[in-house]
Amino acid sequence: MSSERADAVVETLYGGAADEAAGAAYIIQVRELVKRYQLGRDNFVDALRGATLDIRRGEMAAIMGPSGSGKSTLMHIAGCLDIADGGEVWLNGRRVDTLPARQLVNVRRREIGFIFQGFNLIPTLSAEANVALAAEYAGHSRGAALERARELLGLVGLSDRMRHAPSELSGGQQQRVAIARALVNDPGIVMGDEPTGDLDTATSAEVVEMMRTVNRERGTTFLIVTHNPEVAEACDRVIRMRDGVVIDDGDGTPPGA
Amino acid sequence: MRLLRNIFRRKLRAFLTIFGISIGVFALVVMGALAEKLTLLVDGGVKYYADKVVVSGDTQFAGLYSTPLKASLLRDIEHVSGVTRASASVSALLDEEIPAVSMGNIATIQAEDGRARGYETFVTKVAQGRELKNSDVGKVVLGSDVVKKLNGAVGGHVKIRGERYEVIGVMDKTLTAPDNAVLLTMQDARSIVHADLPDAVRDGVNPDTIVSSFAVYLEDGERPEVVARRLERQIDGIDAMTPLDFERQVKQPLAIFTSIIYAIALVSLLVGGLSVVNTMTMAVSERTREIGVRKAIGASNGQIMRQFIAESAVIGLIGGIAGLLFGLTIVTLGNAAGEASGNVLFLMTNRLTVGALLFAVGLGTVSGLYPAWHAANLNPVEALRYE
Repeated sequence: MSSERADAVVETLYGGAADEAAGAAYIIQVRELVKRYQLGRDNFVDALRGATLDIRRGEMAAIMGPSGSGKSTLMHIAGCLDIADGGEVWLNGRRVDTLPARQLVNVRRREIGFIFQGFNLIPTLSAEANVALAAEYAGHSRGAALERARELLGLVGLSDRMRHAPSELSGGQQQRVAIARALVNDPGIVMGDEPTGDLDTATSAEVVEMMRTVNRERGTTFLIVTHNPEVAEACDRVIRMRDGVVIDDGDGTPPGA
Repeated sequence: MRLLRNIFRRKLRAFLTIFGISIGVFALVVMGALAEKLTLLVDGGVKYYADKVVVSGDTQFAGLYSTPLKASLLRDIEHVSGVTRASASVSALLDEEIPAVSMGNIATIQAEDGRARGYETFVTKVAQGRELKNSDVGKVVLGSDVVKKLNGAVGGHVKIRGERYEVIGVMDKTLTAPDNAVLLTMQDARSIVHADLPDAVRDGVNPDTIVSSFAVYLEDGERPEVVARRLERQIDGIDAMTPLDFERQVKQPLAIFTSIIYAIALVSLLVGGLSVVNTMTMAVSERTREIGVRKAIGASNGQIMRQFIAESAVIGLIGGIAGLLFGLTIVTLGNAAGEASGNVLFLMTNRLTVGALLFAVGLGTVSGLYPAWHAANLNPVEALRYE
């Protein structure tokens, strides 16, 4: 779904109604997020100073900004990996920042997929076992998880590499395994933290194309933190951050309006 | 398989850690087998002394040798109230010299007058050949260990103190004192004991009346302690040993000795356990980023914790199996070597085998608790950033 179409759906259905109603159109809504990292007693970094952002269901959005602008922190908090000091996080129309840690694990298992810079596959597991691991954590039997893993490795074009160890795969192939792993539990959104950061230009384009295809064909939302303008260009929307706030949400409208 | 691959990511380190545990388990197995054997010997003694009082000469040397008594004492003993039967026996060391170091049983020669039959509850059966009769002068029945030491067999001959004896039987294995005993007739045993006496004493002793000790059987309801004191009061120059005396003399020192043996083994096992803590802590530190990834893709704290505890327990198990096999080898070789000299030192028991393995796995598990807890409680974002 393109951003224009998604916008149109939101306008038609809710006419900019309350957050809860908008949950059907927005997969993620963050409001006034604040996060401070205490480094020493009198030494701290304010990573987020009131960041607000909406991500539409089915879109592919990039977050750009200089180092230290809070992009990764925003993504980690929106992805339930970290906890904010203030503000709200809504996922699929449900407030999640107030959930206990045990429930956040379930949210990460079923509703969110992650792709990281440097691929981060488990080196002792084969490609298919890496993908299956996420399904096992979500409660599937090993057999069912493996079956699902093979299906997704086929989707990312690695049917002939399923039994290979990560060290036997190229960088691009490893990142495709990571994409398959992120998708294995059918999450509504996949978050990528510099997913092309360790790849050359050609491979990077290949991986972006892969994400674009998944986004189009499966309707999976992508939120990608990147420094790479070519990656940003391939997305529906580019969100810009600086000094812990969203300075441009790429829609030409003030965030949260 | 996944567990093993994780453990052997660092092969040398994994090997050294497992080696550390296996040395501990090895020590536990070997020391434990020694303690089990000693315990069995003493339990055998406890059983032997359980229902009687043993009367011997009152001057003893290291509990092995006492001044001979006279056969005529039998009547006096049986006249003491509470006594229902007395049986004379003659015993001596098989070799003239007492072995300087002997952890197991010392080989002895034994003879009985046969009066204990029907009263004695500690009965050893003949496994091959037949039992010894009073008329079997020049013949012997051998214990199951001493038969190997003397290289004897039923129908063959063995040399004892320079004399040839015909072997007419071999006893059942008891795993305790009778395994190292050579049974002869009273007549043969008396001539050996007589020859052993110091020159100054020998001439004044009639070989036909020599008795080393009397087994004294009690009337129903009599307490051994009471009868023993009565015997010592009424008969001069004797020492009456009760089951309680035996326990006091042997069982309590053994308990201390056994505790020391196990303590040494446990200390070496604890050192192995510390190396597991070290290894697992390093593994968690090296795999911090991986732990972050696992948490990001949905691992709960419990799942991370279980993974590392399982790895640690498996290290314990592998070390335990290796140590057990190593220990079993040494114990088996040691016993095979010991059998030739009649000195079987070790006894492997099921409880020792199972105990050593369980202890190794338990130690691995406990050693993994802190590193696993640390891994489970890592902040996923910090773990992901870890270089």
